[in-house]
Amino acid sequence: MDIQAIRQQIAVNLATISGLRTAENVPDMVNPPVAVLSLEQIGFDGAFNQGLTTLQFTLFVVVSRADERTAQRKLNQYVAATGDYSIKSAVESDRRLNNLVADLRVRSVTNIGSLQLDDQEYMAAEFDVVVYV
Amino acid sequence: MAKYVVTSQKVTVNGTDVSDACARAELVLNAAEVETTDFGSAGWTEVVGGLKSGQLTLDFHSDFGAGGVSNLFQDLVGTIGTFVVIAGGTAASATSPEYTATALINSFTPVAGAVGDLATFSVTFPTTGAVAYATA
Repeated sequence: MDIQAIRQQIAVNLATISGLRTAENVPDMVNPPVAVLSLEQIGFDGAFNQGLTTLQFTLFVVVSRADERTAQRKLNQYVAATGDYSIKSAVESDRRLNNLVADLRVRSVTNIGSLQLDDQEYMAAEFDVVVYV
Repeated sequence: MAKYVVTSQKVTVNGTDVSDACARAELVLNAAEVETTDFGSAGWTEVVGGLKSGQLTLDFHSDFGAGGVSNLFQDLVGTIGTFVVIAGGTAASATSPEYTATALINSFTPVAGAVGDLATFSVTFPTTGAVAYATA
């Protein structure tokens, strides 16, 4: 299991969304609109002989709040289940991640709203992504 | 001898190692109770062991890929299969014994699971004949 390759391949899937930057690792500073991938938890021994490992990522999507209506409209597109700007559609566009994993799923999106980073106000959402290896 | 946490048991079906698709294995060995209660039993029931039997239960993660466990079972329903289960290890030893059973593959659930769940299936097979036990 190559976790860095999995991160990179999720970023490849996200690259299908026009205008969205992707950080496969957590950056020091954000440059919105950006999707930041954070590995939250790994579950081992889902089957005998390490036959199933479960990786749980949080994908933070951050957009500028310079114009609140524009920010909200952009975020609405990202959190939608379908559409050209749908994070779920993009991440699940190749659920095998170029044959790196068995399957993946974007389970939910939470904390849709304001986010404060380095005294800057942003709009953001958190996607729960589970990967089965 | 030590207590152990189940992580690396080995399960094979007709010689194919399906361990990495198997999340649970349970082999139960039974002996029938044959009652021998009589007037001399002093008000208690008495039994002796009768015919032995076994039951093997396995929980799998569905996989229809080439060589996947779902494809393996697809063609085996109605046949007698040979199952090897090594408890607590991948090689037979005094502390990780190997059980070999032949069993009737009398059912298979190729499709199971609710939306959002990992696709899994469980099978329970009756053994036929003796269940062998080896430590090497």
